Amino acid sequence: MAFSVCRARLATALIALLPVVAAAQEPSIVRGRVTAENAVTLPGVAIAIPELGLGAITRDDGTYSISIPAGRVSGQSVTLTARRVGYRPKSARITLGSGATTQDFALEANPLQLGEVVVTGAGTATEVEKLGNVRNTVQAELIQKSNETNIVTALSGKAPNVQITTTSGDPGASAAIRIRGLRTLSGTGQPLFVIDGIPIDNSAQSTTAFNVVDEPANAESEGATFPNRAIDINPNDIENIEILKGPAAAAIYGARAANGVILITTKHGGAGRTSYALRSSYSTDQVTRFMPLQRSWGQGLGGVAAGDCEDPTSQPQCLRSWGPRVSGETFDHSREAFRDGHITDNNLSVTGGNDRTAFFLSGGYNANNGVFVGPNNFFDRASVRLNASHDVMQGLNVGGNFAYSDTKGHFTQRGNNVNGLLLGLFRTPPTFNNQPFLDASSGLHRSYRMQNPDPTTAGLDRGFNNPFYTLYGQLNQAQATREFGNITAQYLANSWLKFNYSLGADYSNDERLEGCGPEASDVCAGGRVTEGKIVNYQIDHNLTATANYRLSDKYAGTVTLGQNLNARNSRQLGVVGRTLVAPEPFNLGNTVVRDLPFSTLSQIHNESYFGQGTLDLYNQLFLTAALRNDGSSTFGPENRRNWFPKGSVAWNFTNAFTPPRWLSFGKLRVSYGEAGQEPAPYLTSTTFNGTVLLGGITQGTGNSPTQAGLGGLSTSTVKGAENLRPERTKETEGGIDIGLFNQAADISLTFYNAISQDVILVTPLAPSSGFFVQAQNSGKFQNHGAEVSVNVRALTRPNYAWEIGGGWAKNVSKVVDLAGVDYIPLDGTFNQTPYNVARQGLPLGTYYDYGFVKCGVSPEGMDAAVPNVDLATVCKDQPKGALYIGANGFPVGDDNIRVIGNPNPDWTGNARTSFRYRKLSLSGLLDIRRGGQVYNGTKSALYSYGTHMDTENRATCNASGLVCTGNEKTFGQNGWFDGPVVGPGANKAVSIGENWYRRGLGPCAFTGYNESCLEDASYVKLREISASYSFDGPWVQRALGLSNFEVRLSGRNLKTWAKYTGLDPETNGGGAVQRTQGIDYFNLPQSRSIVLSVGLNR
Amino acid sequence: MKKSLLVAVLATACVGLAGCQDFLSSTEATKDPNNPTRATIDQSFIAVQSNGFAILEGAVPHDVCMWLQQCGGVGGRTFEEQGAYQIQPGDVSGDFTGIYVGGGLVDIRRVQAAADAAGDKFYGGVARVWEAVFMSFAADVWGDIPYSEAVGSSATPKFDDQMQVYADLQTLLDRAITDLESNAGVGPGVADLVFRDKPAAQQRKAWVEVAHTLKARLYLHTVEKLGAAQYAKALAEAQKGISSPANDFKSQHSTATSERNMWVQFATTSFGPDIVAGAFLTNLMNAQNDPRRAEYFGKNSKGGYGGYDVTTGNSADASLISPLTGSGRNGDGSFRQPFITYAENQLIIAEASLQAGNTAAALAAYNAERASYALPSATSVSLATVMTEKYIALFQNIEAWADYKRTCLPALKPAAGEAEIPGRFYYGSSEQNANPNTPSAGDQLAKNGFRNTNDPAACK
Repeated sequence: MAFSVCRARLATALIALLPVVAAAQEPSIVRGRVTAENAVTLPGVAIAIPELGLGAITRDDGTYSISIPAGRVSGQSVTLTARRVGYRPKSARITLGSGATTQDFALEANPLQLGEVVVTGAGTATEVEKLGNVRNTVQAELIQKSNETNIVTALSGKAPNVQITTTSGDPGASAAIRIRGLRTLSGTGQPLFVIDGIPIDNSAQSTTAFNVVDEPANAESEGATFPNRAIDINPNDIENIEILKGPAAAAIYGARAANGVILITTKHGGAGRTSYALRSSYSTDQVTRFMPLQRSWGQGLGGVAAGDCEDPTSQPQCLRSWGPRVSGETFDHSREAFRDGHITDNNLSVTGGNDRTAFFLSGGYNANNGVFVGPNNFFDRASVRLNASHDVMQGLNVGGNFAYSDTKGHFTQRGNNVNGLLLGLFRTPPTFNNQPFLDASSGLHRSYRMQNPDPTTAGLDRGFNNPFYTLYGQLNQAQATREFGNITAQYLANSWLKFNYSLGADYSNDERLEGCGPEASDVCAGGRVTEGKIVNYQIDHNLTATANYRLSDKYAGTVTLGQNLNARNSRQLGVVGRTLVAPEPFNLGNTVVRDLPFSTLSQIHNESYFGQGTLDLYNQLFLTAALRNDGSSTFGPENRRNWFPKGSVAWNFTNAFTPPRWLSFGKLRVSYGEAGQEPAPYLTSTTFNGTVLLGGITQGTGNSPTQAGLGGLSTSTVKGAENLRPERTKETEGGIDIGLFNQAADISLTFYNAISQDVILVTPLAPSSGFFVQAQNSGKFQNHGAEVSVNVRALTRPNYAWEIGGGWAKNVSKVVDLAGVDYIPLDGTFNQTPYNVARQGLPLGTYYDYGFVKCGVSPEGMDAAVPNVDLATVCKDQPKGALYIGANGFPVGDDNIRVIGNPNPDWTGNARTSFRYRKLSLSGLLDIRRGGQVYNGTKSALYSYGTHMDTENRATCNASGLVCTGNEKTFGQNGWFDGPVVGPGANKAVSIGENWYRRGLGPCAFTGYNESCLEDASYVKLREISASYSFDGPWVQRALGLSNFEVRLSGRNLKTWAKYTGLDPETNGGGAVQRTQGIDYFNLPQSRSIVLSVGLNR
Repeated sequence: MKKSLLVAVLATACVGLAGCQDFLSSTEATKDPNNPTRATIDQSFIAVQSNGFAILEGAVPHDVCMWLQQCGGVGGRTFEEQGAYQIQPGDVSGDFTGIYVGGGLVDIRRVQAAADAAGDKFYGGVARVWEAVFMSFAADVWGDIPYSEAVGSSATPKFDDQMQVYADLQTLLDRAITDLESNAGVGPGVADLVFRDKPAAQQRKAWVEVAHTLKARLYLHTVEKLGAAQYAKALAEAQKGISSPANDFKSQHSTATSERNMWVQFATTSFGPDIVAGAFLTNLMNAQNDPRRAEYFGKNSKGGYGGYDVTTGNSADASLISPLTGSGRNGDGSFRQPFITYAENQLIIAEASLQAGNTAAALAAYNAERASYALPSATSVSLATVMTEKYIALFQNIEAWADYKRTCLPALKPAAGEAEIPGRFYYGSSEQNANPNTPSAGDQLAKNGFRNTNDPAACK
């Protein structure tokens, strides 16, 4: 809080306590109209009379009126102030008398928000021009305009280098946020979320994680996509979001801030008339893109029709669509599972207050019905919030922010999962009608691999689910209640010393229920029920004391000291039941056997002290230094406490001399900070494991060390690490902020370099040493880059205005040191291809897998890549990357694992514009990503299955699928793997059909090399577009009793321009849970919306 | 008033500070509440055995079964490729790892240390036989392996020569036999999943027999390299080997989800149908109307038995191929997979006797083995008939692969377009990644034509 505000409040309190001496008079009314300099009326301006603690907010026509009770009017002079974000505050002295006084204001625009207060975290604040870091703020209006249910998704395209990846268009799907690149392999690499000063939980978890038997390795990338917990926040309640991008800004948060901090401030009330706002919106949502599928070839292999398909356990000819050309009816499996979705969002808020008490009360209900057909695709959220504060006495203000939300969603299974929606859908041969999904006579699940089920097949595996069975017959429910809030006390001990205290809590109870019916597929066959519960609880205590000092006009500043205690507790309990007794309900009691329960508890304690000092010199040079000492129960006993320093300098150089007319503001800033990432708890000791053994076989099975009723315990494969320290990121940031032509334009330019050291690597150990991995502080990563923001207020006339702006950012990631380990998969799972890995000298997340033999890429030397061939000879004088073609005319696989691609973008950006003509406003936002790759695993599998559109043109093959004629292609020519080729079969035309797509080394999944399914992930998305009209004529007041109402038509994700041939390049199998990037394997599609909203204000 | 408030605020701070005693380091905050930090000898031993079963029934035997054409790989996915010898270094990495880490050698050594400390030679002997089971499996599959420096103080154990590992295991088994026969200690009792139903004396006897049969088996593994003298050693051990099928070394499972036979677990996954019967084996068994067919295979859709023929690469008529599901072995989660058996022991005697020129003893042993499966007695015997019978008896057992590499019997044709059946696997990628002593994939390919030291000559 800026001290000036506090002083004003102190004055208010003092005046309020004065005995009323004046004689009774008539009530006095102060009224007026507020405009900008260009005469545009300004709504939402706070008008206050601090001496009396009275105030009002201007209406949409810019008018206000304050009524002062007669008892308080004594002909005195008072100060009247007008404030609005983005304008310089103004005040006027008026003399109160009986009757009306008119006071108009014309406010000067302040688009750079100079002089306004910015919260910088942990109870500290500063003013915009004193800030030593780049500032990224997202205001309420922008969040509301995005029409997103999830506040994380609402940040898409809002700030440079803040990259949002929404998992899918499934309602309530998680969204991941990554700022300035990934810098850790612990946790999810996402920033800390702080709401009204209290850290909150933004974790995401799949119900599949409770099932350690069926999918031990891939729990998070399969199953349904569940929300990240920040979805419990109603976006309509948010006043603004400050994004602290990294340690240089966020070091005050110490060991939790290496990935940045998202500071959310919710709306608060103010003195004045109680006002009401009702906002309702309704959307129509659709899938953004469809998968191209062929409809010419039927079920079978080698051109031979599959025949009867009634037994998924032993009919390989039924799996795929390599049968004969079809003549009869075919079905459109690319679209049949989708429908129009709708989101209905209603919010009512009430704000008001008087001289001592202010409140904001809101309630919202968001009902989100998704784009997949059936009853199980929705997410509903009900939320209420009360923020209130009260001046108890002179200098003491107490307040509380309380929010409750209740969410319930039904989600859809996805990914590498035979019970997922798209896997069964896209693999279905075009000749098979997926409807009805229940057999007419037996009432049992029919799938293309068991087309006419009879009662003897009840409870048996269907191979792959019929997609409609997935949609109608499976349940993936999450039901969460969340309470968060804090109580605060602010005490002004004297004119220069202030105490701030807050005690906050965040509690969520998330109940999960997952069920698949008796005729589901694979490990679900017979039916399966998973019940689970996730309880996260966090208490935070934060005490700060801030002293102001002013030595002279030239030297001033603040000193802050603080203490923080934080306790986090996470409890998870889940049980899997198998084989349903009756087909319903999905309840553990209705199952025949139960697996061992899944039960974990984790507890983290932090105790921290921090201090910050600022020094303002000559009103132009602003220095800040801060230091935090963090202790955590997750640090090893030898390293229980750690220091995190920070320092910054901001120089408003336009105050140092008389700048040229065109240069209206200039600031140079440089800052340095260190922040950490704490280790996961309990990595410091070696334990024993009683659940799953590493040995055995892949594909969804595991053996437990318990056998024959005797409990066994194996030594954990994770070796304890006694001396673990927090990871430490050291970030240096520098930049310049410039305002031009009286702030008609501004430019912000930032460079940063972040070195993350002591990165905790779950370091692979040689298994022959007896352990598989150990957490070690041994890695070093670097992220450096640049960010640019530009805003041009091209026209600012009373009747029309036009603004354009944009951001551009580049982040270059590099693994500097990996402690001698060859590579580390990003998510600790060792059986997903292509792997996202950390590998020395390369960007973090690099794709690592097998590929084709290529010159300059594959190892040279006799037999190294090709048997009996010395690649060095063949590749002599050939360009790097030339594809080696074997004698048969096809490429050859290289059994040496290597880097095959990079998921990180080259740069990201956004461009936006807004235009206003009288009451009509238009705006648009483009979100741009350039470069990087995404793995189109969906296409790759559909190649093998022969359902992808690319397999429409196919050679005629014999029954083995190996000997083919027709559809001849030459590698390296005419759009078929264009590029240089070498080797004995170079330039030989070969037939491409089942031999290549299914039996060959070619495309990706199962038999081939994933390299050829990496695709360009660049996109341009029309994230937002909106047109609104505000009605505020006198008739609105007369006829409707409203101060104004607004009608808005907007679009969300209306258009995506991308080269990607899959559903959407914005995708990631791991959702907000895993650190993987760019893995698309039957991930669910994204959605777009057209939204009509109406806002009523009174 | 002002002062009292200040005091109140400071008091709050002090309460906060006072609450910090042990706030960071208390047991509640630092001790793992989810996993035990101690394990008894029995608990470790159960884990060792469970893990051993998982590996002996795991990905390696799945692939070997396909390579030996006892099984077939179909479905156009991973297993069809692996069945046709398309293997990559990551394929059986988990199995290589499982030999050493928790449930593997590291816990075997824990059991041995605890048994030795308690003076329980019986328990220690059993644990040493288990060590030989694990490490001989690893030596058979990968040849040179970390052993002498494994699970010790070295972070990057060296690789020992395969022949040295076999020699060390003979010594280890001798020690085990001596310990078991010393009659000291009470042994694992019901924690012995293999012989838990036997009284202690018979349990001890069974383990001694298993140790001798394993010694015999390992002598045979060195024949190609060390010469015919190894046959005599094998014969001498086999004569003290497993004396009846009741003493077979078999896995122990239950029908609980995570305690089932791994072949059964595999069969219930979406990849389950990808491993089917192999044509070579079903043809052999059909020719002699073998009663074991119902145990090994499910019936094909024509009601008979048939298999996939990898040598033509042609799935031909799928309706003639038998699945593994629906069989005695792979339909029952609690099926006890045989690993070291009376049948193998008798056939070792038969083979070694033939090599020594003692045809009568060979015929007797051969017929004893056949009788154990209710097969009619034979009147003559040859190396080919012995090895063919062993090939049938050792279905899903990688020892059939060792026999093939040594004798080239039965005369299998490699998969279409391939010159020979693979002689080993790549080392696990986890070991490759973290242990610089691991030979590169290229070096492994180049060494002895991708075959282990004990297998100098390929079967073509």
